[in-house]
Amino acid sequence: MDIIYTTILENAFWSGVAALGFGILFNIPKRVIPTVFILGFMAGLIKFYCLQNHCSIVTATFFASLLVGIVSIPFAKSVRKPIVVFSIPAIIPMIPGYFAYKTILGIRNFTFINTIDTDQQNMLNHIFSNGFMTIFILFAITVGVSAPMLLLGRDMTKKLPD
Amino acid sequence: MKNPNIKLSVDLLLEICALMMQSGANTKRVVDTINRFADALHLESHALISHKSIIMTLIDKKTQNTYTVVTQIPAYHANFWIVSEISVSSWKAIDRNWHYDEIKNRIEQIKNRKSYPFILILFFVSLADAGFANLFGGDYKNMIMAFVATLGGLLTVKLANFYHFNPYIRTYFAAFIASAIAGIGVIYHFGLHPEIALATAVLFLIPGLALVNSFNDFLNNHILNGMVRFVNGFLMVLSIGLGIISTMLLLNLNTL
Repeated sequence: MDIIYTTILENAFWSGVAALGFGILFNIPKRVIPTVFILGFMAGLIKFYCLQNHCSIVTATFFASLLVGIVSIPFAKSVRKPIVVFSIPAIIPMIPGYFAYKTILGIRNFTFINTIDTDQQNMLNHIFSNGFMTIFILFAITVGVSAPMLLLGRDMTKKLPD
Repeated sequence: MKNPNIKLSVDLLLEICALMMQSGANTKRVVDTINRFADALHLESHALISHKSIIMTLIDKKTQNTYTVVTQIPAYHANFWIVSEISVSSWKAIDRNWHYDEIKNRIEQIKNRKSYPFILILFFVSLADAGFANLFGGDYKNMIMAFVATLGGLLTVKLANFYHFNPYIRTYFAAFIASAIAGIGVIYHFGLHPEIALATAVLFLIPGLALVNSFNDFLNNHILNGMVRFVNGFLMVLSIGLGIISTMLLLNLNTL
Protein backbone atom coordinates (compact mmCIF):
# COMPACT_ATOMS: atom_id res chain seq x y z
CA MET A 1 0.00 0.00 0.00
CA ASP A 2 2.76 2.39 0.98
CA ILE A 3 4.64 1.67 -2.23
CA ILE A 4 1.60 2.78 -4.26
CA TYR A 5 1.46 6.12 -2.48
CA THR A 6 5.19 6.66 -2.87
CA THR A 7 4.82 6.05 -6.59
CA ILE A 8 1.93 8.54 -6.77
CA LEU A 9 4.00 11.12 -4.90
CA GLU A 10 6.99 10.52 -7.18
CA ASN A 11 4.81 10.86 -10.29
CA ALA A 12 3.21 14.00 -8.90
CA PHE A 13 6.65 15.48 -8.22
CA TRP A 14 7.73 14.85 -11.80
CA SER A 15 4.53 16.37 -13.20
CA GLY A 16 5.37 19.46 -11.16
CA VAL A 17 8.83 19.48 -12.72
CA ALA A 18 7.34 19.04 -16.20
CA ALA A 19 4.94 21.94 -15.57
CA LEU A 20 7.86 24.08 -14.42
CA GLY A 21 9.91 23.16 -17.51
CA PHE A 22 7.12 24.24 -19.84
CA GLY A 23 6.59 27.36 -17.75
CA ILE A 24 10.22 28.32 -18.29
CA LEU A 25 9.84 27.60 -22.01
CA PHE A 26 6.80 29.92 -22.09
CA ASN A 27 8.74 32.62 -20.21
CA ILE A 28 6.45 32.96 -17.18
CA PRO A 29 7.13 35.79 -14.71
CA LYS A 30 9.64 34.88 -11.98
CA ARG A 31 7.08 35.41 -9.20
CA VAL A 32 4.76 32.63 -10.35
CA ILE A 33 7.44 29.91 -10.66
CA PRO A 34 6.65 28.31 -7.24
CA THR A 35 2.92 28.57 -8.00
CA VAL A 36 3.34 26.68 -11.27
CA PHE A 37 5.26 23.90 -9.54
CA ILE A 38 2.66 23.57 -6.78
CA LEU A 39 -0.24 23.53 -9.25
CA GLY A 40 1.51 20.95 -11.45
CA PHE A 41 2.22 18.83 -8.38
CA MET A 42 -1.41 18.97 -7.21
CA ALA A 43 -2.72 18.16 -10.68
CA GLY A 44 -0.40 15.15 -10.86
CA LEU A 45 -1.46 14.02 -7.38
CA ILE A 46 -5.17 14.09 -8.26
CA LYS A 47 -4.70 12.52 -11.67
CA PHE A 48 -2.60 9.59 -10.52
CA TYR A 49 -4.75 9.05 -7.43
CA CYS A 50 -7.85 8.82 -9.65
CA LEU A 51 -6.06 6.50 -12.08
CA GLN A 52 -5.03 4.31 -9.15
CA ASN A 53 -8.69 4.07 -8.16
CA HIS A 54 -9.73 2.87 -11.63
CA CYS A 55 -11.07 6.12 -13.04
CA SER A 56 -10.84 6.45 -16.82
CA ILE A 57 -8.01 8.75 -17.91
CA VAL A 58 -10.49 11.33 -19.25
CA THR A 59 -12.28 11.63 -15.90
CA ALA A 60 -9.01 11.73 -13.99
CA THR A 61 -7.72 14.51 -16.23
CA PHE A 62 -10.98 16.41 -15.87
CA PHE A 63 -10.81 16.35 -12.05
CA ALA A 64 -7.15 17.34 -12.06
CA SER A 65 -7.71 20.33 -14.34
CA LEU A 66 -10.86 21.33 -12.43
CA LEU A 67 -8.72 21.49 -9.31
CA VAL A 68 -6.15 23.63 -11.15
CA GLY A 69 -8.94 25.95 -12.26
CA ILE A 70 -10.35 26.33 -8.73
CA VAL A 71 -7.02 26.75 -6.92
CA SER A 72 -5.84 29.27 -9.53
CA ILE A 73 -8.42 31.84 -8.45
CA PRO A 74 -7.04 32.55 -4.93
CA PHE A 75 -3.50 32.32 -6.35
CA ALA A 76 -4.35 34.92 -8.99
CA LYS A 77 -5.62 37.23 -6.28
CA SER A 78 -2.46 36.94 -4.23
CA VAL A 79 0.13 37.38 -6.99
CA ARG A 80 -1.91 39.87 -9.10
CA LYS A 81 -1.32 38.07 -12.40
CA PRO A 82 -3.84 36.72 -14.94
CA ILE A 83 -4.91 33.14 -14.34
CA VAL A 84 -3.68 31.70 -17.66
CA VAL A 85 -0.09 32.51 -16.79
CA PHE A 86 0.10 29.71 -14.28
CA SER A 87 -2.89 27.52 -15.10
CA ILE A 88 -1.74 26.67 -18.64
CA PRO A 89 1.82 25.54 -17.74
CA ALA A 90 0.31 23.46 -14.91
CA ILE A 91 -1.97 21.51 -17.25
CA ILE A 92 0.55 21.10 -20.07
CA PRO A 93 1.89 17.80 -18.59
CA MET A 94 -1.59 16.34 -19.02
CA ILE A 95 -1.78 17.19 -22.75
CA PRO A 96 -2.30 13.84 -24.49
CA GLY A 97 0.86 14.05 -26.58
CA TYR A 98 1.46 10.35 -26.13
CA PHE A 99 -2.00 9.46 -27.45
CA ALA A 100 -1.68 11.96 -30.29
CA TYR A 101 1.43 10.41 -31.62
CA LYS A 102 0.26 6.85 -31.03
CA THR A 103 -2.56 7.83 -33.40
CA ILE A 104 0.01 8.90 -35.98
CA LEU A 105 2.03 5.71 -35.49
CA GLY A 106 -1.21 3.75 -35.92
CA ILE A 107 -1.79 5.55 -39.21
CA ARG A 108 1.75 4.65 -40.24
CA ASN A 109 1.19 0.98 -39.46
CA PHE A 110 -2.13 1.05 -41.28
CA THR A 111 -0.63 2.55 -44.43
CA PHE A 112 2.86 1.11 -44.65
CA ILE A 113 3.24 -2.08 -42.71
CA ASN A 114 0.13 -4.23 -42.40
CA THR A 115 -1.55 -5.23 -45.63
CA ILE A 116 -3.60 -8.16 -44.28
CA ASP A 117 -7.29 -7.32 -43.84
CA THR A 118 -7.79 -8.52 -40.24
CA ASP A 119 -4.65 -6.72 -39.08
CA GLN A 120 -5.85 -3.55 -40.73
CA GLN A 121 -9.13 -3.77 -38.82
CA ASN A 122 -7.17 -3.93 -35.58
CA MET A 123 -5.16 -0.95 -36.73
CA LEU A 124 -8.36 1.02 -37.39
CA ASN A 125 -9.50 0.29 -33.84
CA HIS A 126 -6.14 1.50 -32.60
CA ILE A 127 -6.29 4.73 -34.62
CA PHE A 128 -9.84 5.59 -33.59
CA SER A 129 -9.48 4.78 -29.89
CA ASN A 130 -6.28 6.80 -29.58
CA GLY A 131 -7.57 9.66 -31.75
CA PHE A 132 -10.81 10.09 -29.80
CA MET A 133 -8.91 9.71 -26.54
CA THR A 134 -6.73 12.65 -27.62
CA ILE A 135 -9.73 14.84 -28.43
CA PHE A 136 -11.67 13.97 -25.27
CA ILE A 137 -8.70 14.53 -22.97
CA LEU A 138 -8.08 17.91 -24.59
CA PHE A 139 -11.72 18.81 -24.11
CA ALA A 140 -11.65 17.64 -20.47
CA ILE A 141 -8.60 19.80 -19.81
CA THR A 142 -10.04 22.98 -21.30
CA VAL A 143 -13.49 22.60 -19.77
CA GLY A 144 -12.03 21.66 -16.39
CA VAL A 145 -9.62 24.56 -16.26
CA SER A 146 -12.04 27.23 -17.44
CA ALA A 147 -15.22 25.97 -15.72
CA PRO A 148 -14.65 27.77 -12.39
CA MET A 149 -14.17 31.08 -14.16
CA LEU A 150 -17.18 30.54 -16.43
CA LEU A 151 -19.42 29.44 -13.53
CA LEU A 152 -18.44 32.25 -11.21
CA GLY A 153 -19.39 34.76 -13.86
CA ARG A 154 -18.31 38.31 -14.41
CA ASP A 155 -19.20 39.78 -11.01
CA MET A 156 -17.09 37.41 -8.96
CA THR A 157 -14.08 37.60 -11.25
CA LYS A 158 -14.19 41.31 -11.90
CA LYS A 159 -11.64 42.00 -9.19
CA LEU A 160 -9.14 39.60 -10.75
CA PRO A 161 -6.58 40.96 -13.18
CA ASP A 162 -8.05 39.07 -16.13
CA MET B 1 -8.04 64.00 -23.86
CA LYS B 2 -4.42 64.47 -24.73
CA ASN B 3 -4.50 62.32 -27.83
CA PRO B 4 -2.70 64.47 -30.38
CA ASN B 5 -2.82 62.06 -33.27
CA ILE B 6 -5.35 59.27 -33.60
CA LYS B 7 -3.21 57.55 -36.20
CA LEU B 8 -0.55 56.91 -33.55
CA SER B 9 -3.11 55.41 -31.16
CA VAL B 10 -4.39 53.14 -33.88
CA ASP B 11 -0.90 51.86 -34.63
CA LEU B 12 -0.28 51.26 -30.95
CA LEU B 13 -3.48 49.25 -30.50
CA LEU B 14 -2.69 47.18 -33.55
CA GLU B 15 0.80 46.46 -32.22
CA ILE B 16 -0.59 45.36 -28.85
CA CYS B 17 -3.09 43.09 -30.57
CA ALA B 18 -0.43 41.41 -32.73
CA LEU B 19 1.92 41.09 -29.76
CA MET B 20 -0.69 39.29 -27.68
CA MET B 21 -1.77 36.90 -30.43
CA GLN B 22 1.84 36.05 -31.17
CA SER B 23 2.65 35.43 -27.49
CA GLY B 24 -0.06 32.81 -27.10
CA ALA B 25 -3.13 34.53 -25.66
CA ASN B 26 -6.52 33.15 -26.65
CA THR B 27 -8.74 35.25 -28.90
CA LYS B 28 -11.20 36.33 -26.21
CA ARG B 29 -8.43 37.70 -24.04
CA VAL B 30 -7.01 39.68 -26.96
CA VAL B 31 -10.40 41.20 -27.76
CA ASP B 32 -11.05 42.11 -24.10
CA THR B 33 -7.63 43.67 -23.65
CA ILE B 34 -7.91 45.72 -26.82
CA ASN B 35 -11.33 47.01 -25.76
CA ARG B 36 -9.87 48.13 -22.43
CA PHE B 37 -6.97 49.97 -24.05
CA ALA B 38 -9.32 51.55 -26.59
CA ASP B 39 -11.54 52.76 -23.73
CA ALA B 40 -8.55 54.35 -22.05
CA LEU B 41 -7.69 56.15 -25.30
CA HIS B 42 -11.33 57.29 -25.80
CA LEU B 43 -11.80 55.12 -28.85
CA GLU B 44 -14.29 52.44 -29.83
CA SER B 45 -12.73 49.34 -31.35
CA HIS B 46 -14.11 46.60 -33.58
CA ALA B 47 -11.66 43.95 -34.66
CA LEU B 48 -11.62 40.91 -36.91
CA ILE B 49 -8.81 38.73 -35.65
CA SER B 50 -7.62 35.79 -37.69
CA HIS B 51 -4.56 33.64 -37.25
CA LYS B 52 -2.31 35.53 -39.64
CA SER B 53 -3.74 39.02 -39.78
CA ILE B 54 -5.87 41.54 -37.92
CA ILE B 55 -8.38 44.00 -39.36
CA MET B 56 -9.40 46.71 -36.93
CA THR B 57 -11.73 49.64 -37.17
CA LEU B 58 -11.47 52.38 -34.56
CA ILE B 59 -13.98 55.15 -34.00
CA ASP B 60 -13.01 58.35 -32.26
CA LYS B 61 -15.72 58.85 -29.65
CA LYS B 62 -15.56 62.64 -29.90
CA THR B 63 -15.33 63.36 -33.61
CA GLN B 64 -16.83 60.06 -34.89
CA ASN B 65 -13.96 59.73 -37.36
CA THR B 66 -13.22 56.12 -38.28
CA TYR B 67 -9.93 54.47 -39.09
CA THR B 68 -9.52 50.98 -40.50
CA VAL B 69 -6.16 49.26 -40.50
CA VAL B 70 -4.81 45.83 -41.33
CA THR B 71 -1.65 44.21 -40.05
CA GLN B 72 0.13 40.88 -40.30
CA ILE B 73 0.88 38.81 -37.21
CA PRO B 74 4.52 37.64 -37.08
CA ALA B 75 5.53 34.05 -36.31
CA TYR B 76 4.02 32.64 -33.11
CA HIS B 77 6.28 32.28 -30.09
CA ALA B 78 4.80 31.60 -26.65
CA ASN B 79 5.75 34.27 -24.12
CA PHE B 80 3.53 34.45 -21.05
CA TRP B 81 5.41 37.36 -19.57
CA ILE B 82 4.14 39.57 -22.38
CA VAL B 83 0.56 38.24 -22.07
CA SER B 84 0.57 38.75 -18.32
CA GLU B 85 2.09 42.23 -18.33
CA ILE B 86 -0.12 43.56 -21.15
CA SER B 87 -3.24 42.22 -19.40
CA VAL B 88 -2.24 43.79 -16.12
CA SER B 89 -1.38 47.13 -17.69
CA SER B 90 -4.69 47.19 -19.60
CA TRP B 91 -6.45 47.35 -16.21
CA LYS B 92 -4.03 49.97 -14.97
CA ALA B 93 -4.67 52.01 -18.12
CA ILE B 94 -8.38 52.15 -17.30
CA ASP B 95 -8.04 52.65 -13.55
CA ARG B 96 -5.40 55.36 -13.74
CA ASN B 97 -6.56 57.02 -16.97
CA TRP B 98 -3.31 56.45 -18.82
CA HIS B 99 -2.60 58.62 -21.86
CA TYR B 100 -1.04 57.57 -25.12
CA ASP B 101 2.55 58.22 -23.99
CA GLU B 102 2.26 56.16 -20.82
CA ILE B 103 0.81 53.17 -22.66
CA LYS B 104 3.39 53.47 -25.41
CA ASN B 105 6.28 53.54 -22.91
CA ARG B 106 4.92 50.55 -21.02
CA ILE B 107 4.53 48.50 -24.21
CA GLU B 108 8.08 49.36 -25.30
CA GLN B 109 9.38 48.23 -21.89
CA ILE B 110 7.44 44.97 -22.09
CA LYS B 111 8.59 44.28 -25.63
CA ASN B 112 12.27 44.81 -24.95
CA ARG B 113 12.54 42.60 -21.89
CA LYS B 114 14.75 39.55 -22.35
CA SER B 115 13.45 36.04 -21.69
CA TYR B 116 15.21 33.46 -19.55
CA PRO B 117 18.78 32.53 -20.60
CA PHE B 118 18.91 29.74 -23.17
CA ILE B 119 20.98 27.46 -20.93
CA LEU B 120 18.26 27.60 -18.26
CA ILE B 121 15.53 26.79 -20.78
CA LEU B 122 17.68 23.91 -22.06
CA PHE B 123 18.06 22.45 -18.57
CA PHE B 124 14.47 22.81 -17.41
CA VAL B 125 12.81 21.59 -20.60
CA SER B 126 15.09 18.54 -20.67
CA LEU B 127 14.21 17.93 -17.03
CA ALA B 128 10.52 18.19 -17.97
CA ASP B 129 10.93 15.47 -20.59
CA ALA B 130 12.82 13.32 -18.08
CA GLY B 131 9.79 13.82 -15.83
CA PHE B 132 7.51 12.61 -18.63
CA ALA B 133 9.67 9.49 -18.96
CA ASN B 134 9.02 8.88 -15.26
CA LEU B 135 5.28 9.45 -15.65
CA PHE B 136 5.05 6.81 -18.39
CA GLY B 137 6.82 4.25 -16.20
CA GLY B 138 10.47 4.57 -17.16
CA ASP B 139 13.29 4.08 -14.66
CA TYR B 140 16.12 6.54 -13.97
CA LYS B 141 18.29 5.29 -16.85
CA ASN B 142 15.41 5.98 -19.27
CA MET B 143 15.04 9.42 -17.74
CA ILE B 144 18.70 10.19 -18.37
CA MET B 145 18.27 9.05 -21.99
CA ALA B 146 15.17 11.26 -22.39
CA PHE B 147 17.10 14.19 -20.88
CA VAL B 148 20.01 13.84 -23.32
CA ALA B 149 17.72 13.29 -26.31
CA THR B 150 15.74 16.43 -25.46
CA LEU B 151 18.96 18.44 -25.23
CA GLY B 152 19.75 17.32 -28.78
CA GLY B 153 16.25 18.17 -29.96
CA LEU B 154 16.27 21.64 -28.38
CA LEU B 155 19.66 22.45 -29.91
CA THR B 156 18.27 21.40 -33.29
CA VAL B 157 15.32 23.76 -32.80
CA LYS B 158 17.73 26.58 -31.97
CA LEU B 159 19.84 25.87 -35.06
CA ALA B 160 16.76 25.66 -37.29
CA ASN B 161 15.50 28.97 -35.92
CA PHE B 162 18.86 30.52 -36.71
CA TYR B 163 18.53 29.50 -40.36
CA HIS B 164 14.81 30.50 -40.46
CA PHE B 165 13.44 27.07 -41.29
CA ASN B 166 9.75 26.51 -41.92
CA PRO B 167 8.23 25.60 -38.51
CA TYR B 168 7.01 22.18 -39.63
CA ILE B 169 10.39 21.27 -41.14
CA ARG B 170 12.02 22.51 -37.93
CA THR B 171 9.78 20.28 -35.82
CA TYR B 172 10.43 17.34 -38.13
CA PHE B 173 14.20 17.65 -37.78
CA ALA B 174 14.03 18.21 -34.02
CA ALA B 175 11.85 15.11 -33.59
CA PHE B 176 14.19 13.16 -35.86
CA ILE B 177 17.35 14.10 -33.92
CA ALA B 178 15.76 13.62 -30.49
CA SER B 179 14.32 10.23 -31.33
CA ALA B 180 17.56 9.15 -33.03
CA ILE B 181 19.51 9.86 -29.83
CA ALA B 182 16.92 7.97 -27.77
CA GLY B 183 16.91 5.23 -30.40
CA ILE B 184 20.57 4.48 -29.63
CA GLY B 185 19.37 3.63 -26.12
CA VAL B 186 16.86 1.20 -27.61
CA ILE B 187 19.56 -0.53 -29.68
CA TYR B 188 21.86 -1.03 -26.67
CA HIS B 189 18.99 -1.84 -24.24
CA PHE B 190 19.80 1.02 -21.89
CA GLY B 191 17.48 0.85 -18.87
CA LEU B 192 14.28 -1.10 -18.29
CA HIS B 193 12.01 0.35 -21.01
CA PRO B 194 14.21 2.19 -23.53
CA GLU B 195 11.24 2.65 -25.90
CA ILE B 196 9.65 4.98 -23.30
CA ALA B 197 12.61 7.33 -23.63
CA LEU B 198 12.08 7.24 -27.41
CA ALA B 199 8.41 8.15 -26.98
CA THR B 200 8.86 10.91 -24.40
CA ALA B 201 11.95 12.63 -25.78
CA VAL B 202 9.80 14.35 -28.40
CA LEU B 203 7.01 15.48 -26.08
CA PHE B 204 8.55 18.94 -25.64
CA LEU B 205 7.61 19.58 -29.27
CA ILE B 206 3.90 18.79 -28.75
CA PRO B 207 2.03 22.06 -29.39
CA GLY B 208 0.18 21.97 -26.07
CA LEU B 209 -0.50 25.68 -26.00
CA ALA B 210 -2.00 25.71 -29.51
CA LEU B 211 -4.24 22.75 -28.67
CA VAL B 212 -5.46 24.19 -25.34
CA ASN B 213 -6.03 27.61 -26.92
CA SER B 214 -7.91 26.00 -29.79
CA PHE B 215 -10.46 24.42 -27.46
CA ASN B 216 -10.58 27.61 -25.42
CA ASP B 217 -11.49 29.50 -28.61
CA PHE B 218 -14.18 26.89 -29.36
CA LEU B 219 -15.71 27.48 -25.93
CA ASN B 220 -15.75 31.23 -26.53
CA ASN B 221 -17.33 30.81 -29.97
CA HIS B 222 -14.25 31.88 -31.93
CA ILE B 223 -14.74 28.70 -33.95
CA LEU B 224 -12.69 29.72 -36.96
CA ASN B 225 -9.62 30.68 -34.95
CA GLY B 226 -10.02 27.53 -32.90
CA MET B 227 -10.05 25.44 -36.07
CA VAL B 228 -6.90 27.14 -37.35
CA ARG B 229 -5.11 26.50 -34.08
CA PHE B 230 -6.26 22.89 -34.01
CA VAL B 231 -5.12 22.18 -37.56
CA ASN B 232 -1.85 23.91 -36.76
CA GLY B 233 -1.37 21.68 -33.72
CA PHE B 234 -2.34 18.60 -35.71
CA LEU B 235 0.24 19.39 -38.41
CA MET B 236 2.88 19.80 -35.71
CA VAL B 237 1.98 16.40 -34.27
CA LEU B 238 2.12 14.98 -37.80
CA SER B 239 5.65 16.38 -38.29
CA ILE B 240 6.72 14.88 -34.97
CA GLY B 241 5.27 11.54 -36.00
CA LEU B 242 7.09 11.69 -39.34
CA GLY B 243 10.37 12.44 -37.55
CA ILE B 244 9.95 9.38 -35.33
CA ILE B 245 8.91 7.22 -38.28
CA SER B 246 12.09 8.26 -40.13
CA THR B 247 14.20 7.26 -37.13
CA MET B 248 12.44 3.94 -36.81
CA LEU B 249 12.95 3.19 -40.49
CA LEU B 250 16.63 4.18 -40.40
CA LEU B 251 17.54 2.37 -37.18
CA ASN B 252 15.22 -0.53 -38.03
CA LEU B 253 13.26 -0.33 -34.78
CA ASN B 254 9.84 -1.88 -34.37
CA THR B 255 9.20 -1.47 -30.70
CA LEU B 256 6.13 0.73 -30.52
